[in-house]
Amino acid sequence: MSKFRVARRTVQILVVVFMFLMPVVARYQNYVAAREIDRVLDRWSGTAAGGVLSAVDSTVRLLPGAEKERAGRVQRDRAQVLEYVQAARGGPWSATVGPVSMTDPLGAAESIVASRALPWVLLASLVVPLVATVALGRVFCSWICPMGFLLELTDKLRAVVRFLEIRPRDLKPSRATKYGVLLAGLILAAVLSVPVLGYIYPPAIVGREAHDVVFAFFDRAEMGRFGPWAGGLSWMAALLVGIVLFEVLVSRRWWCRYVCPGGALYSLIGWARPVRVELDVDRCTQCAQCVAACPEGLNPMKNRMGLECDSCGECIASCDDDALRIGLGGPLVESFRSRSTSRPEGSA
Amino acid sequence: MSELTRRQALGQIATGAAAVVGLGTGGWLAAGTGSAVACVRPPGALPEDDFLSTCIRCGRCADACPNRCIVAFTEESGFESSMRPGAGQRGTPVIFPRRQACMLCNGVPGDELRCTSACPTGALTPVGKAPSEIAAIDMGTAEVDEHLCYSFNGASCGVCVRSCPLEGRALRAGLWERPTVDPEHCIGCGLCERSCVHYPQAIRVRPRGETA
Repeated sequence: MSKFRVARRTVQILVVVFMFLMPVVARYQNYVAAREIDRVLDRWSGTAAGGVLSAVDSTVRLLPGAEKERAGRVQRDRAQVLEYVQAARGGPWSATVGPVSMTDPLGAAESIVASRALPWVLLASLVVPLVATVALGRVFCSWICPMGFLLELTDKLRAVVRFLEIRPRDLKPSRATKYGVLLAGLILAAVLSVPVLGYIYPPAIVGREAHDVVFAFFDRAEMGRFGPWAGGLSWMAALLVGIVLFEVLVSRRWWCRYVCPGGALYSLIGWARPVRVELDVDRCTQCAQCVAACPEGLNPMKNRMGLECDSCGECIASCDDDALRIGLGGPLVESFRSRSTSRPEGSA
Repeated sequence: MSELTRRQALGQIATGAAAVVGLGTGGWLAAGTGSAVACVRPPGALPEDDFLSTCIRCGRCADACPNRCIVAFTEESGFESSMRPGAGQRGTPVIFPRRQACMLCNGVPGDELRCTSACPTGALTPVGKAPSEIAAIDMGTAEVDEHLCYSFNGASCGVCVRSCPLEGRALRAGLWERPTVDPEHCIGCGLCERSCVHYPQAIRVRPRGETA
């Protein structure tokens, strides 16, 4: 595995861990705020719910100032603990990490068109996602999006399906579809004055479902049931299963390639990204391994990764000739280069 | 780029249109149907229409609430209170006071109510803890049902009055602990409804925007 992919997988896994950990921290906060935490930990000792909570508790208590001594006993400093637990919150749809608040540009866009307003908090929450996307392109899809991660993993199931002598089809609708979905969704949001895209946008759904599953887990524990649980999933989870099945059986990576309104918006925002996958034409032997490797179904040998590339680096890892790399390019860099090379000629 | 046949082009347009229509319908259905119902929103919420259009249903206010009183409005969460989300309301943050009421972040560190400082969209405008700012909150107004309330029916209770964070202004105890709500001062936190020992609750929060 290339270093690039190791880094990417690490980030993807961290996002998934974050997504499941944050609701646990929210519950921990509830118990601390209600001065119930000691009783809960005591009552739940030896159970999964108790184990998870006490892991969070022990971690928080390692932080400076989280403990104080009172009446000869080391206790949590409740105020300080409640301060710490809100340092990182949220999920893939909207999150706060330390002082940085981040919201998905799709959510922000539909909130803006539906309410016809742009409050400062929302603008502040957009700074990091927008700067990252303008500079690096659609990296949310390849590095952050839990649905993208899931689809990358289930993509491997196509081999299993083939082994079962079922030939998976590979339908290829137009890539323009997702821009249509984005436009239609924004128009619908404006007409209904409701941000509707969040209801069908997989990272938002995955975050909600993960949250609800964790909450159902603790709700059960509060009722004294500690066994294996299956609960908290809403019927929106069926949409995710449908997307996965369709991807495995009918159309490879169809959601990301052809439908996802969020991916479409990230593509548009990152169209001029200066940091992008660059092809060294002289080295390329036209072996087309990168074409097979590209999860987005692009052709790195030809189109110099236009709008749709999410800089996942799979093509770079697949290239035997060292012809692909992450470099500077794109319309902005090109025009800057041509200007800086033409200027000396003009002055000379 | 290979040339498209007319058949392929029509097929692509058809799939594209199908995707747009299908997802639009799905999103619209998922948002909830039927007329929107008045419900108790977290403190600092914009007026209902603006709230519905601004909130992106991220759930961060619910996670920020130390008292876990804010929940996502779904058929399941509203079931106990006989409420179901109307058009555009599914997944929006709501408080069902009889389940858990807003304690105005009393005893929790910080200068602002936590849900309001967690909101990334401005659907909840920040509310500080200064008495003037707390008094300006409008989540709803409590209402006493004199047919149910113990204090109006031969026993004196007064639990709701003791639970009121604005006791003496929003909720006053009269003769035999009979509660009187002052709509001018009541902010609709719901602690009275939460504390009511009668079932069904003899004092309930009428959400803002709901006409009596």
